[in-house]
Amino acid sequence: MASEISIEHINPFIKSTRETFHTMLACEAVRGNVAVTSQQPEDPRQILAMVGLSGRLRGMVSISFPEQTALRIVERLLGMSVEGIDETVSDAISEMANIIAGGAKADLSGEHDTPLELSLPTVVHGKGYEVEYPSGAVWVEIPFESELGGFVVRVTFAGQ
Amino acid sequence: MRALIVDDSAVMRKVLIGALSRAQITDIDQAADGQEAVDKVQTEDYGLVLMDWNMPRKLGIDAVRDIRALGKTMPIIMVTTEAEKGRVVEALKAGANNYVIKPFQPQTIVKKIEDTLARSQGAG
Repeated sequence: MASEISIEHINPFIKSTRETFHTMLACEAVRGNVAVTSQQPEDPRQILAMVGLSGRLRGMVSISFPEQTALRIVERLLGMSVEGIDETVSDAISEMANIIAGGAKADLSGEHDTPLELSLPTVVHGKGYEVEYPSGAVWVEIPFESELGGFVVRVTFAGQ
Repeated sequence: MRALIVDDSAVMRKVLIGALSRAQITDIDQAADGQEAVDKVQTEDYGLVLMDWNMPRKLGIDAVRDIRALGKTMPIIMVTTEAEKGRVVEALKAGANNYVIKPFQPQTIVKKIEDTLARSQGAG
């Protein structure tokens, strides 16, 4: 399965991430250096949300937040304090990933008659999880910094 | 007036409860998917529905069609990440009255709620 990633596929995710943080959290997300990797993070202190894209383009976006970043996001979103990763935090991270993927999807769909489809988000957290990805998948890794903490957006597309 | 929030994200439902409160609507019920929404509108009387699109069991767009097929005429606002123009047209054709794309600023959705209710009352 050959990967076909171009800047036109990546920019919508950067734009959507910035817009989502700005609009929902009143927070500026600043992009770091983009890198290409074949690895997904296995840091157990991260909470990871994934959303699949299907249709004319097939791919996946994953967003991994250190726990502290995730907690601060939820506190900002709901205006209430949270002390640890619980169902509310997982749900909030899932929804953030959904909104970021949705914004990117609209740009990627462009003027095509049939929009791309999003899968429902999946969230993984805790020690010892393994996620199997398509072999040979190449991920574009986009680190962000914000006043709520750092986080990483990763995007991959499968060949047609 | 009672409002129904339909979204599979409990966090988003909380955010929307905050928005409705700012629009002076505090009598609020919730559903976690389209099917639960369709079930609820058959037994409860709502003056407004906020409807997500992508949900398990039944999509919001299908729930809108079902609700209109039941003869229910309350205003329905789609609140969704589906941002393509074609989706907006599809929702309006299905019977939605207004459309809010996530992410949204609180004042944006409050204004859409107020505008939608004003139009609905004007028409009614």
